[in-house]
This record gives sequence, C-alpha cells and structure tokens, in this order.
Amino acid sequence: MSEEYEVPEGLYYTEEHEWLKVLDDGNVLMGITDYAQKQLHEIVYVELPEVGKDVERMDAIGTVESVKAVSDVYSPISGTIVEVNEALLDSPELLNEDPYGEGWIAKMKPRNLDADLKELMTAEEYKKHIEALHH
Amino acid sequence: MSLKKTQLYQYHKEHGRLIEFAGFEMPVWFEGIIPEHNAVRNAVGIFDTSHMGRMRAEGPDAERFLNYIVTNDVSALEPGRGLYTVMCNERGGIVDDLIIYKLTPERFFVVYNASNREKDFNWFMRHSEGFDVELHDVSDEIAMIAVQGPKALRTLEKISSRPLSDVDRFQIVETRLSGVEAMAARTGYTGEDGFEVFIFDATPERPEKALQVWNALLEAGEEFGIKPCGLGARDSLRLEAGLCLYGNDIDENINPLEARLRWVVKFKKPQGFIGREALLRIREEGVKRLRVGIMMEERGIPRKGYEIWDGEGKEKIGVVTSGGYSPTLNVGIAMGYVPREYRKIGTPVRINIRGRLARGKIVKFHPFYDETKYGWRRVEA
Repeated sequence: MSEEYEVPEGLYYTEEHEWLKVLDDGNVLMGITDYAQKQLHEIVYVELPEVGKDVERMDAIGTVESVKAVSDVYSPISGTIVEVNEALLDSPELLNEDPYGEGWIAKMKPRNLDADLKELMTAEEYKKHIEALHH
Repeated sequence: MSLKKTQLYQYHKEHGRLIEFAGFEMPVWFEGIIPEHNAVRNAVGIFDTSHMGRMRAEGPDAERFLNYIVTNDVSALEPGRGLYTVMCNERGGIVDDLIIYKLTPERFFVVYNASNREKDFNWFMRHSEGFDVELHDVSDEIAMIAVQGPKALRTLEKISSRPLSDVDRFQIVETRLSGVEAMAARTGYTGEDGFEVFIFDATPERPEKALQVWNALLEAGEEFGIKPCGLGARDSLRLEAGLCLYGNDIDENINPLEARLRWVVKFKKPQGFIGREALLRIREEGVKRLRVGIMMEERGIPRKGYEIWDGEGKEKIGVVTSGGYSPTLNVGIAMGYVPREYRKIGTPVRINIRGRLARGKIVKFHPFYDETKYGWRRVEA
C-alpha cells in the first residue's frame, strides 16, 4: 500500500512531524503534518496546551491519540501559547481531514523566531526526511 | 529474523497496513479500525486468523488426554461440538485459552493463540506421555478465516454447499466453501454471531484455496457492505465484548478464578486436571483480585499498563490489562484487575492517564455494550 504525503511549500517542519506557519502579524500557527496524521490514522482524542503557557522549543505541549496509539505534540519553537484550536476537542477528526488548515493546533507568539527557524526543515528537506523513514 | 506470512499475505500486502504480530506480518487495518469495527457490529466483516495455532489430537486416549490438560470438561462434548476452555500450569496459572472441537469420538481439533503456538504444542507433547494419542501441528496446513457480524450467516451460506442456519453456537460442520473442502464452526472473537472457517490443503506456499474462499466471501458479502478487517478491529471488538487477550488479560501468573473464568473450571471432573489442586486451594483461600470492566466518565483513553486508582485518587489499586477507544460506545473502556472490594458495578475509580487521574467507574463488561442492540444474543428484527 503506497501512500502520498502532502507537504506544503512555505511551511517549516520538525523531525517529529509538526508544521509551523509564520503569520503576517509575527505570530505563528502550528499543527501536525499529513504524514503524522496518516501514521496515527483515525484520531479520536486531542489534549491541547494551556493558553498563556510559556514553552521551550521541542517541549511536549499536547497529545494526539488515535484508536491504536498515543503521540506527543512538540512545540516547533520557543514562545507563548496565545490561542488553541478548541474545535479539535469535539472534532479530533479535523486533524485527519485537514491537518494544515482546520486541524491547526495552536497559535504562538515566538520568543526567538529567527534562531528557531534555522533549526526547522523546509518543505524540500522534510520530504527527504519522510522518504528516508520509509527506506 | 524474517516474519512469517499467512496464506492471505498477498492480499494483505496489496490492500492493508501491515504490522508485526506474534512473529507474523499481519494487517492492522485495511480501510481503518473504526469502519471495520462498525461493519462487524452492524453487518459483516472477515478476518484472516491463519496465524493461530491449530492441532489435531487423534487416538483412543485423545479425549482422556485433553481432559487432563484443560480445565473444562471435554468428556461432556458430543461429536460435532466444541467448547471454550483454559489450560493451567501446576500453580493454577493460565498457560493459554483455547477452543476444543470433538470431530468424532477419537478425533479432536484444537485452536489456540498465535503468540503461544510453539509453547502450547510443546506443552501438549510433554504431557501426552502415557496416553495413546497422536498430536499433529496443522497450523501451516489449514487456513483460517473468521466471518463475523449479524450478516455473517447469510454471507457464508451463499458460498456454502450446505445450509448453516441450523448450526448451533460452538457446533462445527463439514462443508464446501466455493467448492473448497472446509469446516465451519459457529464461534468467534467479536461478540457477534458468526463463523470461523477452516480451509484444508492451504499452506503459505500454496495459498490458492484460501485466497479463493477469501475473495468469494468478499463478493458474497458485498450486498451487506462486507469489509476485510485487520487486527486493530479484532482487538477493539473483543475488548467491547469483554473477551480476554492472552498476554494482556490472562497469562501464567493469573488464575482462571480471578480472571472470572470460573465457568470453564470443572472441579468435579472425576479424572482431575493439571492445576486442580492449586485452584482448589486458591478457591478455599478466596481470590484477592478480580478482572473488572471500567468505563471512562471523563475524556481520555485508558491503555494497557496504565494505573487504576481508587475513586478519591488516594492510592493505586491495580493496572489496566487491556484498554482503548470503544467505537460502539464512543468512550474509553478498559479491563484490569482490582481488589475484590472494588468489583461492584458503579464503584468509582480513576485511571492515571499520563499523570492525570481521570474519572471512570466499574461497569458490566461481558460485554460492555447493550446486548439488546449488539452481539449474537440480539434478536434479529
């Protein structure tokens, strides 16, 4: 069974399969990638971070559970959680259906964005990363 | 170590997501655990269970031998009937749970867990000394498919040379399935009505007959919305039915009395059986812990290994042995062992879900679901 994974250009990626999008106002949106949701499959439960919480880059800030497995969600950057996607509490399947859109997890105010972005992968690099996981 | 493959591997590879289970490369799902689970509860699904252990026991002492090995009473079986049982070690711990079919007075067919294939056959061999019985491991010669769900009977009858509606639960009959020689037993591991079918002369090297029956079933069940199902749905279905998984809910350190399998232990069998003295002593002293069912009252999914705490969250009282999300009930459910005083239905408990003591309660769990709506006992409207 071969699968294709969507990896949009212009986003930044972690090795743990989170994506990050820089917004015009300087804040960022983050979520889990198409690859992550396809690996987990059938997500039935999400734990979201607390609004107002300060986190370090790669802190575990939430969990995503499918029928079969539990997975931590890591913060791609250091900063403050300013908003979370509460729709996921009642509709966790949004993470499967639209991981880069309606399935976003948190909006964050970055503390050290330029330095943190250097640690993240581009779409090209992330595509190679997931290819390597399958060979 | 390379993984073993069943007769239906080619199908799984093309259509399923594969994982390792008990040394086999098996499908965890085809379309997804939830749709496959729901297909079985509401219509029909088929599972490849060819990885399981199967043995023939034949000879004048076959019945006496099996009756000595297992706790249930094999001598009560009529030919063509089977029973669920456990076999115990000398300490009363469960070596495995299994189904024994009596084909004729001197021929028996035994089905046991995939994860215990070698252990069990060695156990049988070791204890067969002094009995006039021949044991044959036929696990790789016979393919096995479970056809489960309220439409299982109608699906299977379409490809069967004999009608099947007169077959009782735990009865086994010979038939031809899409022309292939087979046996069909009215058993399963989902809580639903259904059959487990055994296809003769189908090895992993010559899988044609197994594939033929598998494909014929998919075609026959199409009008009912049949789905091929993987191990994921097999696990969620058996959990909702409150059925034990060996290695999780029962093992060699758990006895059948605390596992609430007292009904398969026949102390009065005249011959005795392995583990009887230990189990009598345990019964005398009283069991300290019992298998219970837990339903979450807060968000969260209990999983194997999570701690069970008392309702106030003061102390740990046990451990989850199987847990997960119930697609039928849309809530987290679990089985585990707790001290006797917590066994009553309605007793509040907590589950330690990654540091959070989430609320749950003890519930009826065999099965967890409403038997007027789901399961083999429900009356077809």
